[in-house]
Amino acid sequence: MHKVAEVEVQHDIMVANKKLARKNQRILDKDRVFSVDVVGAIGSGKTSLIEAIIDAVDYKIGVIAGDVISKYDASRFENHNVPVVGLNTGKECHLDAHLVEHALHDLPLGDIDVLFIENVGNLICPVDFDLGSHMRMVVISVTEGDDTVEKHPLIFQDADLVVINKVDLADAVGADDDKMVSDVAEINPEVQVIKTSLKTGTGFNDVIEAINGFINDN
Amino acid sequence: MHELSMAQAIVDTVLDAAEKNNATEVVEVTIEVGMLTMLNPEQLKFLLDVIVEDTLLENAEIIIEDVPVEIDCRGCEFTGLANTDGSDHYLAIVVCPECGERNVEILTGKECNVKTIKIEKSDEDA
Repeated sequence: MHKVAEVEVQHDIMVANKKLARKNQRILDKDRVFSVDVVGAIGSGKTSLIEAIIDAVDYKIGVIAGDVISKYDASRFENHNVPVVGLNTGKECHLDAHLVEHALHDLPLGDIDVLFIENVGNLICPVDFDLGSHMRMVVISVTEGDDTVEKHPLIFQDADLVVINKVDLADAVGADDDKMVSDVAEINPEVQVIKTSLKTGTGFNDVIEAINGFINDN
Repeated sequence: MHELSMAQAIVDTVLDAAEKNNATEVVEVTIEVGMLTMLNPEQLKFLLDVIVEDTLLENAEIIIEDVPVEIDCRGCEFTGLANTDGSDHYLAIVVCPECGERNVEILTGKECNVKTIKIEKSDEDA
């Protein structure tokens, strides 16, 4: 004889990730490390932007380079003589708080002022996974098409800073960068949107200033 | 595509609860999935059906309940169900139904919650 019983489980997988994310933030706060989760489209210039920031600022930077195969980006950062941990996600399309926690243990946090966590190039899956960073910067570029923002609204809803990169190529690829800016404003009226070109330097100082603003407010 | 890792986390959660309650079989699993998650319920269900093979929940009925989006509007006093423009696959934009404000705090709609399981247990344990 068997009996059927109903069991209340009430275990939220998302909450489990959020709890780990909060733990990550406590680890970072203990060593006074400000962290930036950099998410964005594939090939939008996330790695190049972080490289340019490393070269431009005085504070001590560390990087977690997340990718399906992370060694390529990780070796680029290593060339800038900053501490780097590469995180291979393998089949996964995003970083999660658990993976980041592992990477934090492998970084000299006492020697880092600002930690950039470069997420896997993806505008969909990272939405669901808080990493415990202090701010999230979304990087897209005009070459992905000027409908990128309206097609992926949720990633912009949670963004603290949005960078629209490669604006020097807007005419060449027939993209309206102003439309991309106004699409972001419609989804997230509060967020600062900066048009940049790492080739010409357009907007780059504004990105540094915006990040500095978040660091000072923290 | 993170449905596979989520499905695995769900199965682990269910197995843990089943074992703690001395289940001999899991007959039903109810999961709540928020409409603002990037999880596609159809894909999630398909993957769950695949990975439960040879586990206690091999024959369980999987029920996925959508959780609607509730918001607290920062523009007016409204708290409650939001208007979501979900016409374009699952990508909803949240808008306050009272004042049209998009600056809102999201109260529900982002969960992936293993809510309840129905288990069979032998009479001695019941």
